[in-house]
Amino acid sequence: MATQILTRPEQDQGVEQKIQQVRKLYADAPEMAKKALENALPSLISQAADAQASGSESAGRIGIRQGRVSELTLITPFAPGGAQRLRTVLGLLNGNFSGGTKVGTLHNMRFVFLDNDTKLLFAMAYDGQWDPYIEDFATKIPDEMDIIFSAAEGWPGIRSPKVKDWIVEHQIPAEGWYVAHPELTVAETGRLKRTGKAVDEFLDKVG
Amino acid sequence: MAAQAQTGAEQDQSIEKEIEQFRELFSDAPELGKKALENAIQVLKSQASNPPPPVESAGRIGARLGKVSELTIIVPLAPGGAKRLRAFLRLLGGNLSQGADKVGTLHTMRFVFFDNDTRLLFATAFDGDWDTYIDDFVAKIPDYLDIIDSAWDGWPGIRSPGAKDYLAKHQITAEGWYVAYPDLTVAEIKRLQRIGKAVDEFLDKVA
Repeated sequence: MATQILTRPEQDQGVEQKIQQVRKLYADAPEMAKKALENALPSLISQAADAQASGSESAGRIGIRQGRVSELTLITPFAPGGAQRLRTVLGLLNGNFSGGTKVGTLHNMRFVFLDNDTKLLFAMAYDGQWDPYIEDFATKIPDEMDIIFSAAEGWPGIRSPKVKDWIVEHQIPAEGWYVAHPELTVAETGRLKRTGKAVDEFLDKVG
Repeated sequence: MAAQAQTGAEQDQSIEKEIEQFRELFSDAPELGKKALENAIQVLKSQASNPPPPVESAGRIGARLGKVSELTIIVPLAPGGAKRLRAFLRLLGGNLSQGADKVGTLHTMRFVFFDNDTRLLFATAFDGDWDTYIDDFVAKIPDYLDIIDSAWDGWPGIRSPGAKDYLAKHQITAEGWYVAYPDLTVAEIKRLQRIGKAVDEFLDKVA
C-alpha cells in the first residue's frame, strides 16, 4: 500500500487532517454523536494511525478484504415468482444452506428478503480473492447456484460467460468490514479444530 | 420436528410430495432454474430426508445456526449521515477492530451504503442471543455506537430506553443462514488458536 512508504511525521499529519475533517463533519451531527466522538477521540487517533498501516484491502475485482477474509454483498431484484421459489427452497433446507460446505472457503452466508419480497440481499464472508471464489462456486455447486439465483432478475446462469459481470453489477462493496480472526481461513479453522480435539484426547489419555 | 415422529415410509412419501410441489413451483422458473432443479433433485431428496441442523431463532429477532447468529439491519440515513459515517469509517481504514474486538462475541461485521447513499446495510455474525449481544455492544462500546448510529434516521441514542426497539424495528430476519462452524464461538476460536500455537511450539521443542 502506498501509505506504507510515508514517514511517521507525514503519517501523523495525515491522521491529524482526517480527524479534523471528521470533527468538522460531525459539527452538524446530533449532540450525542458529537459527545461520543469527543469521548472516543484519543482511541480513534491511535486506531487511525494503525489503520493507515493495516486497513481493509481489495478482495480483487470487487469487495473488500481484512487479512485473509473477504466480503461479498449483493442486492438484486427478484424475478417474478422468484421470492416464493427461493423461500420454498430455503424452507426445504430448514433455512440452512449446508451445500455451502462443499465450497470449502465460505465462512458465513445469509439470504434476506427486502422491500416486500421485491429484492434479495445476499451476503457472504469468504476466503481470499473474488475471482477464484466465484469459480469455486461454479465448479463445486453449479446446480445449487442456479436453483437459488434463478430467483433473481436477469441471472444469466452459473455456466454463462456473463455470470461474473452480472455479479459485479449487483455487488456493492462494503465501506466497513470487520473480521474477528482475519488470519484464519475456513481450512485453517478446520485444522485448529482437529488439533484441539487431538490435544483433548491426548490429555485424557495422560490424565 | 414432526417429521422425526413419522415412519420411514411416511417420511419418504412426504418428501416425494414436497419435491412435487417444488417441480410445480419451478415450472414457471427460467429454463436453467428448472434444469438445475432436475440435476439437483437427488441431492435435495437426500438433504430433505436427512436434513442439516435447522436454523433457529436468535431470540427477539434474527436467525441462529448452532451458536452463531445473524443480525441484518437496514436503515434510512439521516441528512448528512452518509457523509459523516463514510468519513468515520475511512478514518479507521474501514476496519473497526479495536472497538469490535472489545465486544468479544462478534465474528464479522459490514457496513454497506446503497440506494445512492440513502440507506445503510449493517450486518453482523455474532455469538448467542440477540438481547445479550445488544447489551454487550451498549456496555462495551457505547460511544462508537452513537458515532455510527447517529447517521441513522431517527436513532434515539444507545443510552435511550428506545434503542433496542429501534434496532428490532429495522432488523430483517434472514430466510437462509449458513455458518461454516456453527459450534465455534469467537472465544472458542481464540482458545483453539492458543492451543494450535502451543502444539506448534511443543513439536518444535520435541524436534
